[in-house]
Amino acid sequence: MDTSTVEKIVKEIENIAPSHEGAHVGKVVSVGDGVVAIDGLSKAVMSEIVVFEEGKGKKLKDSMETQGELYGLILNLEEDGVRASILGETSRVSEGMTVKSTGRILSVPASEEMLGRVVNALGEPADGKGPFKKTTMMPVERQAAGVIDRKGVSVPLQTGIKAIDAMIPIGRGQRELIIGDRGTGKTTVAIDTILNQKNEPKDKRPICIYVAIGQKESKTARIAQQLREQGAMEYTIIVDAPASTPAALQYLAPFSGVAIGEYFMDQGKDVLIIYDDLSKQATAYRQLSLLLRRPPGREAYPGDIFYLHSRLLERACRVSEEKGGGSITALPIIETQEGDVSGYIPTNVISITDGQMFLITDLFNKGIRPAIDVGISVSRVGSAAQTKAMKGVAGGIKLELAQFRDLEAFMQFASDLDKETADRIESGRRMVEVLKQKNGAPIPIEKQVAVLYAANSKFFAEVPVGKVTAVEAQFTQFLDAQYAKTLAEIKKSGQLSDDTKKKLNIAAGEFQLAHKELFSST
Amino acid sequence: MTMESAYAQALWKMVEGGMSPAKAVHELRDLLKARGREALLPRIGRAFARIAEREGKRTGVTLSVAREKDERAAKSAVKQILAEFGVEPKEVNIHVDDSLIGGWRLEGREHLVDASYKRILVDVYNAATRT
Repeated sequence: MDTSTVEKIVKEIENIAPSHEGAHVGKVVSVGDGVVAIDGLSKAVMSEIVVFEEGKGKKLKDSMETQGELYGLILNLEEDGVRASILGETSRVSEGMTVKSTGRILSVPASEEMLGRVVNALGEPADGKGPFKKTTMMPVERQAAGVIDRKGVSVPLQTGIKAIDAMIPIGRGQRELIIGDRGTGKTTVAIDTILNQKNEPKDKRPICIYVAIGQKESKTARIAQQLREQGAMEYTIIVDAPASTPAALQYLAPFSGVAIGEYFMDQGKDVLIIYDDLSKQATAYRQLSLLLRRPPGREAYPGDIFYLHSRLLERACRVSEEKGGGSITALPIIETQEGDVSGYIPTNVISITDGQMFLITDLFNKGIRPAIDVGISVSRVGSAAQTKAMKGVAGGIKLELAQFRDLEAFMQFASDLDKETADRIESGRRMVEVLKQKNGAPIPIEKQVAVLYAANSKFFAEVPVGKVTAVEAQFTQFLDAQYAKTLAEIKKSGQLSDDTKKKLNIAAGEFQLAHKELFSST
Repeated sequence: MTMESAYAQALWKMVEGGMSPAKAVHELRDLLKARGREALLPRIGRAFARIAEREGKRTGVTLSVAREKDERAAKSAVKQILAEFGVEPKEVNIHVDDSLIGGWRLEGREHLVDASYKRILVDVYNAATRT
């Protein structure tokens, strides 16, 4: 123990006034699998936090060495007692232990100090960088904003991914599901979206919260490292409930994440929250419910599994100016098995969200990344959450791609096709290439607009399909170097004026002249 | 809830409601006989014993002190609290727990009042080290 701690203790002892602490208590009757049956606590309420008294009968030294308080969360109120989930190590609880009621509904700390930090499902630091000094407690369960308090979703949230920003636009306050099999790049889409917020002006940049549920610690550490390296951690909070934590914490983590998000939303700020992933949360909740002896329903999930997700996702919204005008945009992730989107949990979450993007294994394996199937992906907010510039260039892309997918099957008969069909296929192939994007490299909206404008103007028509991505990269570099003002103009106005279009045409012409060798489709 | 604990609960409520234990058991036996469930009786008996034990613990009040000689001072300190609980001082079980260091600790009827020196010292330590 260091000298300053000793001094602090001496001071505290000098100021001690004799007091006694009263509490409403119960006794542990049985414990197992993270769930504890408690006798007593007849005045306890649902979702109340209880504290296990570990110090009883222990010597002072042993009591002091206890590693923080051990909490429980009341989840069942029964005739002769309550059942609670242990929010920590089950091995620390023993039969006969006294359990104290706190009178507090589960809440988590929230503050600006959390930015750049990794916290656990209870909002406690999990990165070893020390405690938070000043925090506000936010209730984990809170009623979502009502109709009167909400505002329409109209401000775009740029993901930096061309295929999404152009065809499945997301608005601030929207809930857009990312769904697909394992290994199709769901997390990558989410992380790229966080990275892209760096391109937003600081005053409009959303606070990002990444909630890792049931993930491997190594994966979360890798994500934190990537965000840190690319400077995105300064506006990001990671809420981590890894696979090794009790089911109760995995079930709680998304609620803790959104509670922290609400702290910022209440201040009028925009928040982006990613739940990675809700399938694992549903599994954790199923485990917990079965241990609590709640009746199982379809696929052994409890009857309120829909409510679990709907009450969480309803908290994503854009509130009215009277309420501060903040927003929470939610990107929940759902993992499917063998591409089956008709499963219980996927269909539930599809019906709750305002749109979904499907990531397909086949596309991923073909090298089309992000592997978004734009044909079946949809954003129900639509172009209301797009800038005029993007709306202008993205209009025809979805249709072109849909036609291309229809004709794609005929590609093997290329030599027998009429010219119009062949041209459409070629154009579609190039558009697919244009929409390809490396992971960890989101593209600012103005560059997306410029590239898509060029693609619509047949700029890539003479480029061999295999070189489209490389030419696109060179073209954006060229625009960056020579036409920075034009790009800035698009970013600032959010529009593609005739003058800007002219400049982009000139830029395309200049680039083609300077790089003739790139433009020969043979 | 299992069938035997449901019957045991019912029996407990009957006795608590003022019926004599002998009469309550007699009526329960008649009922079980009529329903062909007489074989449940031993298990109901065990479940009833568990309820009685639990209720005993729930209603019992224990005053813990660090040393035997602290008993008198502690008893006078908890007089008012016991009155609030509706418990006579003579009904209180005294327990000596030297880990308390000093002071007292009253536990029972779903309440815990901790005025032990150990609790105060742990609070001081936590305040100094965990902020």
